[in-house]
Amino acid sequence: MKSNWQQIISERKSAILERWLQSALALFPETMASGTPTGEALLDGMSMVLDNFEGNPESCGEGIHSIARIFAVQPLRPSVALSLFPLLQELLMERAPKEADTEALRARISAITFEAFDRFLENREKIYQLKVEETRSQLHMLLRSTQS
Amino acid sequence: MSKYAPRKAQLAREFLEKPTPLKGAQADREWWEMPVDFHDGNWCFPGKPDTLKAIGFPNPRKWAATDEDWQLPDGWEKIIHDGLKERLKKFRSLKLYLDSCVRCGACADKCHFFLGSGDPKNMPVIRAELLRSVYRNDFPMVKKILKGFSGSRKLTKEVIKEWHSYFYQCTECRRCSVFCPLGIDTAEITMVARELLNLIGVNNNWILAPVANCNRTGNHLGIEPHTFVQNIMSLVDDIEELTGITVNPTFNRKGAEILFITPSGDVFGDPGVYTMMGYLLLFHHIGLDYTISTYASEGGNFGLFTTNDMMKKLNAKMYHEAERLKVKWILGGECGHMWRVVHQYMSTMNGPADFLEEPVSPITGTKFTNATSTKMVHIAEFTADLIKHGKLKLDPSRNDHLRTTFHDSCNVSRGMGMLEEPRFVLNSVCNSFNEMPENTIREKTFCCGSGSGINAEEFMEMRMRGGFPRANAVRTVKKQHQVNALITICAIDRATLPPLMRYWNPGVAVYGLHELVGNALVMEGETPRTEDLRENPMAIAEEREDGDA
Repeated sequence: MKSNWQQIISERKSAILERWLQSALALFPETMASGTPTGEALLDGMSMVLDNFEGNPESCGEGIHSIARIFAVQPLRPSVALSLFPLLQELLMERAPKEADTEALRARISAITFEAFDRFLENREKIYQLKVEETRSQLHMLLRSTQS
Repeated sequence: MSKYAPRKAQLAREFLEKPTPLKGAQADREWWEMPVDFHDGNWCFPGKPDTLKAIGFPNPRKWAATDEDWQLPDGWEKIIHDGLKERLKKFRSLKLYLDSCVRCGACADKCHFFLGSGDPKNMPVIRAELLRSVYRNDFPMVKKILKGFSGSRKLTKEVIKEWHSYFYQCTECRRCSVFCPLGIDTAEITMVARELLNLIGVNNNWILAPVANCNRTGNHLGIEPHTFVQNIMSLVDDIEELTGITVNPTFNRKGAEILFITPSGDVFGDPGVYTMMGYLLLFHHIGLDYTISTYASEGGNFGLFTTNDMMKKLNAKMYHEAERLKVKWILGGECGHMWRVVHQYMSTMNGPADFLEEPVSPITGTKFTNATSTKMVHIAEFTADLIKHGKLKLDPSRNDHLRTTFHDSCNVSRGMGMLEEPRFVLNSVCNSFNEMPENTIREKTFCCGSGSGINAEEFMEMRMRGGFPRANAVRTVKKQHQVNALITICAIDRATLPPLMRYWNPGVAVYGLHELVGNALVMEGETPRTEDLRENPMAIAEEREDGDA
């Protein structure tokens, strides 16, 4: 029987979200409170992923992107930051009925993790792009002052 | 004794247990056990030897924070010790702030760097403790009284490294001080710590290079007077092309009524130049008798982030120039820390400026009594007064392509209490203004994350972390109201917020308040406006075209 993971999630969303969020906040050097801006932003992103787990890929992607964006500027290895997504698999398995299709879940979590990896790298590249842009504009200023 | 008083045993237990502000995973550690780590993105390049020599700062050398040996000068411990002793005597506030903290932790989660990084040493209480712990160890009277529970420690090279790391992860924004029940201003502790570090050559090039430039040519970028004029005149050409109006700024003109000083970022930086165009249009619109100095060509004062003496020196140049040009008073542009220096320190540092007159608006006759001592008026209150008296012809629909929100610059809001004037101006020049959440604006505003001279590109990751709380508040209004324009009245914000927005909120552009004023001003004799000062199409022009079709 094919399981509907979206339904499993929606029936248990608040408990899953709470555990998932706490695990994400614990990745910071000092455990971050859930009411902080980081907590709020992670909650939004995670909520989006859970609400669109098997549904709207665009909204799910947006949630993944916002989570990856937060961790891409933290001094964490990508493997640590992205461990959040395999962790979601564990959280879901713990709460799923016995007959749930674990293979489908594994495949979906893999796809989400790969997407998160892409977004994480995109954001790292963005940081370096911003650095280059600032260096370039400084160079431009120097040239301008020597030219006149 | 009251039956509600705590029992002796309870007090003794609390005393022995030494409650720590660290919670969660760090609860069983002391903050000083956590090592200092320098890696890409969390430290700024140190001052270059030539820069230090140019301003006579000690210990010029080539070094990096990742070096094992920082080549500190001989006797560096004594230099720091004597430096602290001297400053404790000189600044009574410092002694008060060092002595009075009870480590309640009310400030802990108010710092944008802590909120963005989760690093416990970014809690203001612990940041101050970095210096306080040495103070407690080194100063006999304090040691005698507090020995045993004060959390004191010896000054070592590791402590210096820690200071360098964390006092440059503080933007001196003072948000923590708003929430401190004792009114401790951790920003002033950071200022003194940076001053002490400068005594032994532990510094930051992004701060010292502008200081040296300003010391030499009068502005942070080191631009010579003729280039300064050339740049403003190129903006005059741009204005003419866009509006058909020729504005006529004058330079170093003796006898002008007003000396206008703004951060050099407004003359050279994008998007600051559009704000400058707004000023020029405004002054032309009201026929203001003003001049711009090519010597005091900088409103900003990076001395504030360096040493008290340097701040005093760089501030003095503005007043010397005002005296030389024989103006009546000074009008200051949109800047953050310039106003912190003027509003909080100028009067006792270089003032009162008795050779100038109490500022009076030549257009409305309003006396700016708040500037009686400094003789310097903020452009936002000057423009707000003009609008209040109906002296400006404005068409706010010219900004209809923008859905705005307003970022209170820390130094203007918390440093001088200016909260209403920019909002009044903004509401008069555009039709869509949306406030960010209440706990992120006005005196509780979140910093841009890159102020106080840490806007270095090599520090980008940390800047993105520190700026995250502000960006998150912008995200809220972007989501709720489709905001696409973040308005500021600070030149550093105009430099730091664009990359912050590009990272966290793509699609939100950063504008100066007077850029929007410049868009909205209806100038006499202008050609029909179709584009804003950035040459982006105005919504009303597009509507007009649709109507014609």
